[in-house]
Amino acid sequence: MSQPVHAAMGGSIAVQPLVSMRHVSKRYPGVLAVDDVSLDLFAGEVHGLVGENGAGKSTLIKLLAGAVPRDGGEILVRGQAVELHHVRDAARLGLAFIHQELNLIPYFNAVENIFLGHTYPRAPWGGIDWRSLRIRAQATLELLGAAIPLDTPVNRLSPGQQTLVSIARALAANADLLVMDEPTASLTNQEIDHLFAVIRTLQERGVGVLYVSHRLAEIFAITQRITVMRNGRIVTTQLTDQVTERDLVQWMTGRAVDAIYPARRPATATPLLTVNHLSGTYCRDISFTLHAGEVLGVAGLNGSGRSELLRMLFGAAPVTGGEIVLHSAGIARPIRPRSPSQAYRYGLALVPEERRTQGLVLTRPVYENTTLTFLRNFARGGWLVDRRREIEVTATLGKQLGLRSRSLQQPIGQLSGGNQQKVVFARALAGKVKVLLLDEPTRGVDVGAKLDIYRIIGDLTAQGIGVILVSSELSEVLGLAHRLIVLREGRQVATLDATGANEETVLGYCFGLTDQTLTDQTLGQNQNSG
Amino acid sequence: MRADKSISTTVELHQSANRWLRAYGTFIGFVAMIVVFSLLRPGVFLSPNNLRNITEQVAILAIVATTMTVVMVVGDFDLSVGALASLSGVVVADLLIQGVGLWPSVVVALLVGAVAGLFNGLLVAYFGLSAFVATLATMTAFRGLALFYTDGSTLFSGIPESFKLFGQGFTGPIPNSVLIMLAVLVVTWFMLEQTTLGRRLYAVGGNAQAAYLAGLNVRALRLTAFVISGVGAALAGIVLTSRLFSAHPTAGEPFMLNSIAAVFLGMTMFREGEPHVLGTFVGVLLLGVMSNGLNILQVNSYIQLMLTGVIILLAVLLSGLARRD
Repeated sequence: MSQPVHAAMGGSIAVQPLVSMRHVSKRYPGVLAVDDVSLDLFAGEVHGLVGENGAGKSTLIKLLAGAVPRDGGEILVRGQAVELHHVRDAARLGLAFIHQELNLIPYFNAVENIFLGHTYPRAPWGGIDWRSLRIRAQATLELLGAAIPLDTPVNRLSPGQQTLVSIARALAANADLLVMDEPTASLTNQEIDHLFAVIRTLQERGVGVLYVSHRLAEIFAITQRITVMRNGRIVTTQLTDQVTERDLVQWMTGRAVDAIYPARRPATATPLLTVNHLSGTYCRDISFTLHAGEVLGVAGLNGSGRSELLRMLFGAAPVTGGEIVLHSAGIARPIRPRSPSQAYRYGLALVPEERRTQGLVLTRPVYENTTLTFLRNFARGGWLVDRRREIEVTATLGKQLGLRSRSLQQPIGQLSGGNQQKVVFARALAGKVKVLLLDEPTRGVDVGAKLDIYRIIGDLTAQGIGVILVSSELSEVLGLAHRLIVLREGRQVATLDATGANEETVLGYCFGLTDQTLTDQTLGQNQNSG
Repeated sequence: MRADKSISTTVELHQSANRWLRAYGTFIGFVAMIVVFSLLRPGVFLSPNNLRNITEQVAILAIVATTMTVVMVVGDFDLSVGALASLSGVVVADLLIQGVGLWPSVVVALLVGAVAGLFNGLLVAYFGLSAFVATLATMTAFRGLALFYTDGSTLFSGIPESFKLFGQGFTGPIPNSVLIMLAVLVVTWFMLEQTTLGRRLYAVGGNAQAAYLAGLNVRALRLTAFVISGVGAALAGIVLTSRLFSAHPTAGEPFMLNSIAAVFLGMTMFREGEPHVLGTFVGVLLLGVMSNGLNILQVNSYIQLMLTGVIILLAVLLSGLARRD
């Protein structure tokens, strides 16, 4: 642990905080978004900030950035009280902000983006001296250990590379404090590892980092201290190595949490779906059996074919070989869904990866989104819409799933991510579902909604539904699944019993450090039972 | 506390004023226009004769714009409606001149619209062309077809008197063209608002990918919308030909821009900015009243065109401003 943190926690050396917020408040009409918050951030410290949606994290960051005026309290930078009226003021004081939606100009290349807003050096003939800027950009990027093509427009770079460019921009502006708001939302696991290495390098150079994320695993991996916010107030600030994930969840939600994942009920031996040697455009030779009441986890890196597997089962991606066998009432019959609508008829349902672009019609009301798939069942004569019935059904499902919505008739785009995701679940459950395919079911939802979704998955398996769960969060797969398969580069490299597996073994398979042949005993058993 | 309350009340008032402006801005513009024209030309603008004139003028545009609304609900455009209206008008006139019966001629002309719409729909939904490119191309092709069919001339001699039924006939005091328009309006409104088909069309327009993954047949739904638009355009072409009692190969051309403009004007009336049949109808009325009023005021027709553009821009800008917060 670094020196300043000791000092902050009552050590003997008095170290001045890089940034101090003292009794800061911000009121919006009808809500106190930030309520009397005091927080010290030190040089060389990575400080985690966590809380549910609406806890006040974003507003706090906006106050620090000078994007919104504060109603009370003061902000000190290196001991000096400062007034932040504009984002430029914060930048001048060495504060830099990296948001989920990066503020890069898409058609500009890395050099142009890194030095955007700087006073450009001039070449002898009066034009911008791009050559020296290129050299400086290169130097900054090398500092980050990032190999980024300088002439490529940033919209053609990967999300991870784009994040690195915006960090380089902050460094080029000599930022002392980096505020990162969900920086890993669109990054692959490899890119996240690289980002963490970069953060550690910055830390050694004395840069302070305020790291905001819903992903607790990341918070534990990278921070030294953690501040938890709830309802606009700071609940507590703790040293990272002295708290557990459960502590954080309790502080964030304000409710006692027995366990993050519901107790696993034993799966039945009744097969629901058998997949034999299934291949698609990328996936090759995938085999497994899903049983009633079972959660089958699918682990693998981004691009390992996890989503394609679900889409093949769902009729949304082409199948080039192998078979899918559906078991119902003891009869096994091969199926080959050619569209999602056919898949629904077989009793399959999908919660897609990208909620906003693939899951919901954001402009339409909550109840319309809930009934969209099985609309005919709720309509008079199958064609005349019956809004009252739809709203009743939505209310019933919403109650089961813990949906919080001011009105079921408001456009769903106005709901929080977690509540939106519950509506996607409600839609799948509005019909007779036997197999539920979940692709990143908790992406971008806050911790309270996550706990609800874990509970929902547990409840569904208790009803005999089979669940295939794809998630980038390994702890989630290990916490919920009975068994899991690991994909690497489109191939199935392992089939494991989740209770006997830990993150290290699974990651070993993901990265190809260890291997398991398909003739493995575990798989043989599964096929026997199917 | 009290200060806070008054601040939040002011904000709420401001917001509700904005909401009001957004919802009724276009409608207020429409009413204001009627008031201004009535004051400037009392006794002429509001005379029963002129009101009937306006309704008859807007009836045909309302038919095209209503079915155009359906295409725009699924998030597409149909630029071919004007050329298609001309083509079906030419077809019905020619069949009548050749001695084919009244109803068979009308049905064939409607079928021409359906097939043309099907073709547009196939290009867009199944062959993946953008609606803009596909219907721009078919618009040109339909226009060429109509011109070739008539050799560029106007068909009028030999159309039987009975054909006046659609564009010039009356049922009681109400012009038949207005009745046809009302029927199209009511049926389309009912379809979009009260049936599962309409619900699905809106879902496709809101997010086609989500609709697909939710199990909707997105391609078939988009195709359906184009077929509806094709039939609507053909129907408008038939009524227009009946009203003019002649078929000109480019008579329907103005429908394309005006119908899209009417849908846009109507979209400004709803918070989520989605096309809506009632909004479209207000848009049509607004365009019709303006054109009629400016005619009465004897404003230069080129200036009229310019003013139409300005009005559309104003409406869209205003609703955009109101939606901003």
